[in-house]
Amino acid sequence: MLGSSCPSASTNCLRVCLCFSTDTLIAADNPQAKGTTPPARAKDEQTQVTIPGPLRPFLRMAAISQQVAPDEVLPLLARNVVIDGYRGSPDKDPKPTEFLVLLKRYLQQAKELQSLAGSAESLHVANCQEAAPLLMIIGYRLKEGCGPDTELEASEPERAFIANDSGFPIAELEQAVREGKRFVYPFPSSLVPMIFRAEDWKLSGKGGENSDGDFVAGLLEDPLRARLYWALARMDSETRGFLRRAPGLPKLAPFSALLDFYGAELSIRSGRLLVPGGAAAEPAWKQLVGASPDSPEEFLTKLWSRDEGWLAAYFAALSRLKQSQLAYFTDARRLPRFYQALRGNDAHPGPARFLIFRPNPGLLLLVTRLQFDSNDEPLVPGNPQIWKEIVRHQPTSKVASEWAHKAGSWNNSEQLVEGMFGLSRSLNNGPLQIFLTLSEIDRVRPRNKRLSPQTVRLLADKFAKFDDQYLIFSEFRDLDDQSITRFLAVGEALDRIPDRTVRGNAIGILQANIGLWEILARQGQIPSTTLNDSWQRLLNPFSHASNPTQIFDAGRTSLAEIIHDASGATNPSENELISLLAGPEQSSADGRQVRQLLANRMRAVMESQRLASLDTLFSLANGLKRLSEGKTTAEALVPLANELREFEMPRPMFTSRERTAWAGGLYDNRQTELKIGRTLVQIVQSPRSPQEAADARGQLAPFLRDTLVGLNYAYYEPPGAQMLHNNPLFVRYHDFAGLTVVSGDQAWHTPLLFGRGWAAGGGAHLVGSLADLPYVLAQTEQDFIVPENVQALVWEDLVPSLLTSAVLPRWWRVTPVELHAVTLYQRTGEELLSAAAENADLRRGVVEILSDRILPQKQEQIANDLSSGAVQQILAEVTPAETFYLTAEFRRRFPAGNSDWRASGRELESLVSRYPDEVSWERLSQDFGVPHPALAQTYARELLNVKPFPAIMGYSSRLMAESWESNNLYWARLADELGYSPVMLNRLVPELTHRMIEKIFATHFEDWPAVLRAMRQTGEEFRQGKVAPLPKSAIASSF
Amino acid sequence: MRGHQLAACVALLLFVGLNSTVHGQQSAPPPPAPESASVSDVDNGTVFRVNVDMVQLNVAVIDRKGNYVTGLRPSDFEIIEDTIPQKMATFEEGNQDPIMLLNPMQPASNPSASSVGDSRTGSGSPQFSSAGANVFILFDTSNYMYRGFVFAQDAISDFVRSLDNTAKIAFYSYSRDVARDALLTSDRSQVLRGVRSTVAGADAALYNALLLVLRDAGKNTGRKVIVVFSNGPDNASMVPPEGVGELAQSEGIPIYMISTREAKQDPMSTAVFERMSASTGGQAYFAKNWKEQQQAFASVRDDLSHLYALSYYPQPNPNRGWRTITVKLIGEKLKPFRIRTRNGYRPRPTGFTPDTPADTALAR
Repeated sequence: MLGSSCPSASTNCLRVCLCFSTDTLIAADNPQAKGTTPPARAKDEQTQVTIPGPLRPFLRMAAISQQVAPDEVLPLLARNVVIDGYRGSPDKDPKPTEFLVLLKRYLQQAKELQSLAGSAESLHVANCQEAAPLLMIIGYRLKEGCGPDTELEASEPERAFIANDSGFPIAELEQAVREGKRFVYPFPSSLVPMIFRAEDWKLSGKGGENSDGDFVAGLLEDPLRARLYWALARMDSETRGFLRRAPGLPKLAPFSALLDFYGAELSIRSGRLLVPGGAAAEPAWKQLVGASPDSPEEFLTKLWSRDEGWLAAYFAALSRLKQSQLAYFTDARRLPRFYQALRGNDAHPGPARFLIFRPNPGLLLLVTRLQFDSNDEPLVPGNPQIWKEIVRHQPTSKVASEWAHKAGSWNNSEQLVEGMFGLSRSLNNGPLQIFLTLSEIDRVRPRNKRLSPQTVRLLADKFAKFDDQYLIFSEFRDLDDQSITRFLAVGEALDRIPDRTVRGNAIGILQANIGLWEILARQGQIPSTTLNDSWQRLLNPFSHASNPTQIFDAGRTSLAEIIHDASGATNPSENELISLLAGPEQSSADGRQVRQLLANRMRAVMESQRLASLDTLFSLANGLKRLSEGKTTAEALVPLANELREFEMPRPMFTSRERTAWAGGLYDNRQTELKIGRTLVQIVQSPRSPQEAADARGQLAPFLRDTLVGLNYAYYEPPGAQMLHNNPLFVRYHDFAGLTVVSGDQAWHTPLLFGRGWAAGGGAHLVGSLADLPYVLAQTEQDFIVPENVQALVWEDLVPSLLTSAVLPRWWRVTPVELHAVTLYQRTGEELLSAAAENADLRRGVVEILSDRILPQKQEQIANDLSSGAVQQILAEVTPAETFYLTAEFRRRFPAGNSDWRASGRELESLVSRYPDEVSWERLSQDFGVPHPALAQTYARELLNVKPFPAIMGYSSRLMAESWESNNLYWARLADELGYSPVMLNRLVPELTHRMIEKIFATHFEDWPAVLRAMRQTGEEFRQGKVAPLPKSAIASSF
Repeated sequence: MRGHQLAACVALLLFVGLNSTVHGQQSAPPPPAPESASVSDVDNGTVFRVNVDMVQLNVAVIDRKGNYVTGLRPSDFEIIEDTIPQKMATFEEGNQDPIMLLNPMQPASNPSASSVGDSRTGSGSPQFSSAGANVFILFDTSNYMYRGFVFAQDAISDFVRSLDNTAKIAFYSYSRDVARDALLTSDRSQVLRGVRSTVAGADAALYNALLLVLRDAGKNTGRKVIVVFSNGPDNASMVPPEGVGELAQSEGIPIYMISTREAKQDPMSTAVFERMSASTGGQAYFAKNWKEQQQAFASVRDDLSHLYALSYYPQPNPNRGWRTITVKLIGEKLKPFRIRTRNGYRPRPTGFTPDTPADTALAR
């Protein structure tokens, strides 16, 4: 949690952004300050609430972005009260946090200032002598009386802190009194819309306002009311309007938590509750809930009351699905059956028991990602029988144990899915996670290449250790059963190396080589037809590697095979390898320039990390062999060996004793490598035997590991990285062996970031494998991005995913036609929206398609805006991924409906007919989609088109962040419209994404409008040539 | 483009003959040869372009009582890098104009006569007015600062006002993230607005912040110093203090650390603050109260106004690692005095430093 209003950090990962703009402190030109709030877009009854003082300081103190519209103010205030306002359980006398204390103090100070401002609503100080009353309120005084040297100093720190924190223009006031000038600061009260009327908010006999009639103050005092307000604010106005009437807000209050978690998915239209599955599913829902959707009050009351909220969770999870996914789940027989499985024998604890985030990511993932075959039957990796065994052998929790027992009677896929619903209640890494992961691996494979039952069983058995490595198999669909099996065998063999350090080196070298292979395979440099063979050649050298010499040789041979498969080259230099990794050979000037740029960036990282070059290592290894054979002399090798000694640790700032006391175990784990360098020189100079000289290359293994790992780091360098350039220990400290963690074997798992904020520990470093490296590097480097708006934050829940989506994809194979098609898809979506404003039938179709991707509130807003012709309003709020999806889905649903096409639509149709492959959905999805390692367990780029995921416990933030798919589509469109060639995206996308992150000015990490705003602002700067100016190519529009 | 170490970075083009190994800036050259290597390569007829940074030293000379010693001449100083004596290129004392010692066009300077013993203290609020001097202020807005926040702002405001108008000032604040509240400017009111615009935050990532400020400072020409106002323990940085300290030394930027008593109670922070400031030629202060904070700022200002700025172009040196700098006073009369300056630097790798978004951020 950040920001002035919340010095006491919350224990959960939610952080409040104190959004704070430095401009226009004098609010004379602030329309909000004049009380001229734009009309609210919601159609339900709203009234106005008065906030003392201008809006800007209030937003600052309330930790709300100053870029929000007035109708967002109270919902966000309510949200911040819920999340950050109180400590302890709401049921047990919660204590206000410092955030709330300061906000209340501000409101008191604002009232005093408003009183001083009087009916003119403006603070006036004619001269220095008249400043005293104002200074007293804001906690300042004159330092040495009036005069040309007058200065202000704090007299009452609490008041002064509030004045500063809220952005009172103290510097301007000081300057005015010093220069004897008038100080004028408009200080009007502000009006913001409130949902419903104050009397509606009389809950439990308490008034909607506090004793002095102040609704805002009342909201601050009552977290239950705040939660209900926040929940209702995210519903569409028709639905909440209905609920206001029946059952009424007082009766809704006990369900505030459930409404907070699951209310946004509800939709009441014309007095009927829309249920997942539509009219066909209504009888089943009626049966399950015990009330008809025609009676929303009764239906919802029963829905929320049942099983501590699990039925509400079930309803909401299914509400998020596309219509095409729902037929299976809402079948009259399955609907109650799956629910009963979810509920289990014991509904306790219900989801509402969780205060901040909704639980059960597994449930959402299961219904969202369950795959179906061509017969609309669930896709089961292997076969159901295998899963019976898998579940029986995975009793990782009480729930899993229950289902292990039940699994004995499973005979079909439906029973398996039923079991998975039951298992979704478990938070452990159990059979559901295995099922979801293997489903994603199988999803991308053609029927005849799906995982065999034996492989499924093997992957399940090894899941606990190797699960994070399975990202490889979901991304590279051509790797077959044999390749997968081989990997697991090699991995296990290396795991059996007894010496921890040697084992860490072996696993590190293997993983680093795999990482390089992935890069070259992803870039198409290793042809897909040879992936299996190439993969085997990569792995084979490690089969029997167990001592340092064998490990070094295996790493070298394996690397040579990879390079040969990618380029045909033998013994390339490190420089040539970096060029290869930077991308395929380019024929265009743009392509060559960008490839060179990327290569140089990698070289800069390698240089900053001061890693031994592959050329040195391999020359030395060759020399040692020749030395053992008597074919060379020590004198020839010593300079090379000395190069390994050249790395100097940074100048020590702590003594050994201090390090032991302040960072015991963290710092010294890599000192051995430096000692090796010294030993090697001694061996070269006077080997005791030829064999010792020959075996000495084993001492190069840790150096080889670091260099290969460094190449991986360098490739995935996030834009604006500093660690990679300023901490030469960062790569060296990558700990595969788990020397810096007390428990657990991390060698194959996603690395943990270790040592942050530990000054004597040598800096943060990664402990674990190279799986998920792009994300973890982004996580490490994100703190070096400087937000543009003072006190805006870099959201660690969102930003690493944005950076990963910018760094991992490369656009070498994208053609100008493809790039232009991305533009046309977005423009055509906008044209469809414009046309829908004039055509009711089209409007229904458009809204129905968009309902696959957006929640009811946004659906309603779009429908309303289309009805009223407010097209520009819609275009500002619809994301590029939404317009892209709209066009694609419209074309799919209405293949003959091109009478609705306008200019871009017609051009797109023409392009599709001329270049069907290049502009196919599949191709564009692959090239402009983003990786979803948490949501779909793969780094393959894809557009999944899911509704924005909410924050959920566990790995919630990654699910949420991965549901944002707009950036690359938008950057591609900009590049196309500005005449850049597609290869330029390799440079533009990271830089524009970096700039966008600097601009994000969000109130909380689910603040998607703020993300969209930042993206569009960045786009505007790019159009104006303020960011990422590049020479334009003439080829972009040449097709 | 990555900023150079100092303003007077020069490119020595040793053009001896045509050869296919010419390395242009647009190509991807191998790491540059050290200065000594360039000589032998020249002998071999190879063409090299070698970037040699001028090394600048901010030097305080103190007598036994802690008073500043003023009026020294260039000939009073001896500079040694590793074991290699260096030729002074420029000399500057406090408010006086710099003297170009290696420029033959520069008239023989006539620095004021040495006035050993005529040392001044900080009384009288001397103004720090070196031409082109840039002061980068970094303010801790983490939770630690919450209670004394406004007093710290007052102290910083006083400090900003006390620097005369020839100095440029930039103002940054940090908690977990960094904010560029006022970019480098000679407009004091802009800086003061920046000071007053800060708000308290959460975690403290001091070393991350220092790194970013150093990177920004390094892009500017002229003399630079960083003044940090911190309340103590870093609990969120990714980079270690060693890396930051080395960067400061390599950039030739002294770091002054002003911290509160709480930091003194944290031995790790105390160690870092004292050692980082000492190794860069700055100073560390631990202020027990608001009054002492103001005194610390006054002391920093005083120090800045009494620094000698010496510079040299390194003589050929095969050492590509850490280079130790030793500055000595020549003559028996000067022996009792103590010198405070940075103690070395590590030559930057000069091979591949492409533009990055972070590098271009300040250009906007």
